[in-house]
Amino acid sequence: MIRFEQVGKRYPNGHVGLHELSFHVQRGEFLFVTGHSGAGKSTLLRLLLAMERPTSGKLLLAGQDLSRITTAQIPFLRRQIGVVFQNHQLLFDRTVFDNVALPLQILGLNKREIGQRVMTALERVSLKDKALQYPADLSTGQQQRVGIARAVVHRPALLLADEPTGNLDPRLAAEIMGVFEDINRLGTTVLIASHDLALIARMRHRMLTLQRGRLIGDGEAS
Amino acid sequence: MSDERKAKSNTSAAERVGGSVKKTEHKSDEPDFQTLLHAWLESHRASLVDSVSRLFKQPIGSFFTCLVMAVALSLPMGLALLLDNVERLGGSWQRAAQISLFLKLDIDAARGEKLRDEVAALPDVAEATWISREAALEEFQQLSGLGEALKELPENPLPGVVLVTPEEVDKDKLEALRTRLAALPGVEQAQLDLLWVERLTAILKLGDRFVFGLSLLLIATLLLVIGNTIRLHIENRRTEIEVVKLVGGTDGYVRRPFLYMGALYGLGAGLIAWLLLAYGLGWLNEAVTRLAGLYGSDFGLAGVPSGDALSLVIGAVLLGYIGAWLAVARHLSELAPR
Repeated sequence: MIRFEQVGKRYPNGHVGLHELSFHVQRGEFLFVTGHSGAGKSTLLRLLLAMERPTSGKLLLAGQDLSRITTAQIPFLRRQIGVVFQNHQLLFDRTVFDNVALPLQILGLNKREIGQRVMTALERVSLKDKALQYPADLSTGQQQRVGIARAVVHRPALLLADEPTGNLDPRLAAEIMGVFEDINRLGTTVLIASHDLALIARMRHRMLTLQRGRLIGDGEAS
Repeated sequence: MSDERKAKSNTSAAERVGGSVKKTEHKSDEPDFQTLLHAWLESHRASLVDSVSRLFKQPIGSFFTCLVMAVALSLPMGLALLLDNVERLGGSWQRAAQISLFLKLDIDAARGEKLRDEVAALPDVAEATWISREAALEEFQQLSGLGEALKELPENPLPGVVLVTPEEVDKDKLEALRTRLAALPGVEQAQLDLLWVERLTAILKLGDRFVFGLSLLLIATLLLVIGNTIRLHIENRRTEIEVVKLVGGTDGYVRRPFLYMGALYGLGAGLIAWLLLAYGLGWLNEAVTRLAGLYGSDFGLAGVPSGDALSLVIGAVLLGYIGAWLAVARHLSELAPR
């Protein structure tokens, strides 16, 4: 599903974001990427979303070489990926339904199918009854679940999450992780960047540890 | 449409590699041409509805933007219409460039009328009118105010005149025609006064050039106004654009609502400009007809011709669209997801 082969990322100011990173992720895997601030977690996610390009090595996502992807191909690559942000990135002038429907509208699905898929996604995160409410009317945990519903509504092959529990208390964080596991059980590959080692340890999934852009650990969290 | 076609192939690719979707669900992701067409139209409809609703959410701001654009549009258009009216006031060019054939004093009315017929039959002549010596004297008495003094003259000093209206107003051709007419037997003098025609033409050409320059200047202003307005809309929707790009929205998808917004601003501006011109010319016409009446003329300003009005509205829509396109093209690259 994901293959990093000696991937490096050096910024124009000379800062090295990633240093010859190599690993691969099987389809349907659930893994964490952890490390301190500045370790390269966000850079790794940005490379997978083609927000940045590697400066060396080869990065393959579903067989597509992201170091050679054209600008015009990027939107279509992103349609294969779901993204969850720490700050949710919800649109506060739209209802929960409209927020979740956004990726489907971009795909050009008809209203009936959009309606069905959105309600299924909201049901999956237990927010079916909040469809017509606005994000501002929801709790932080509920907003994060809306973000997750939007990330999975178009049935992506890969789900990326950047510190998805960063602002949540431990109980809500565990609840959100439970939602990710449910999604993973349906076959979606899930990659979560987090520095919450206690939470990661409880989950007992594969964990990649980064330090100053280098991979220093790859194994099951314990 | 091509975006959606690519979307189809990529969605399928995602399913092949992803395995996250049950087999039964895959069938719904294989849209046919009709479905894709419907999706494309639906996307345009949604963008249009979204743009309209956003404009109506800020009615005063939207109105003033349209008004500024309308003033910029109506100034050159109004001047162009006034110039058209001035040209109309100057009369037809054929009449403005008449050649007067003053006949010899011994030419009687019968020979004068015969000469008129001969001249009228010439290919470059549109019309020829005979003015007898008596008619000329009578007109001169009325216009000069020397009626009583002229009665004292022993005989009529004025010659018979054939007034020639040329087919075409071209300085060289008119001069050639004048020379030909001057050589006709019985013609004492052929007079062509082109100076005032040339002056009027020069003034109107200057006016045309002024209107053209002003139009360019105001079109640039209009593009800046619409560009700045769209830039503000883009800034207000920065988060939305970033999210749309992150979930796979193409540049075309992001651009679409702003293009509709630009076109809608243009439509509003075009309609307001039309109203401004129609009412403006109507208001001015009252004073013009009063003034023309004092000179014994029934001249009045013509309104906005429907063809010009339609061109104005279509032009405004296109300018709005182009202005929005330029603004979005300039700012879209700055809105890469962070």
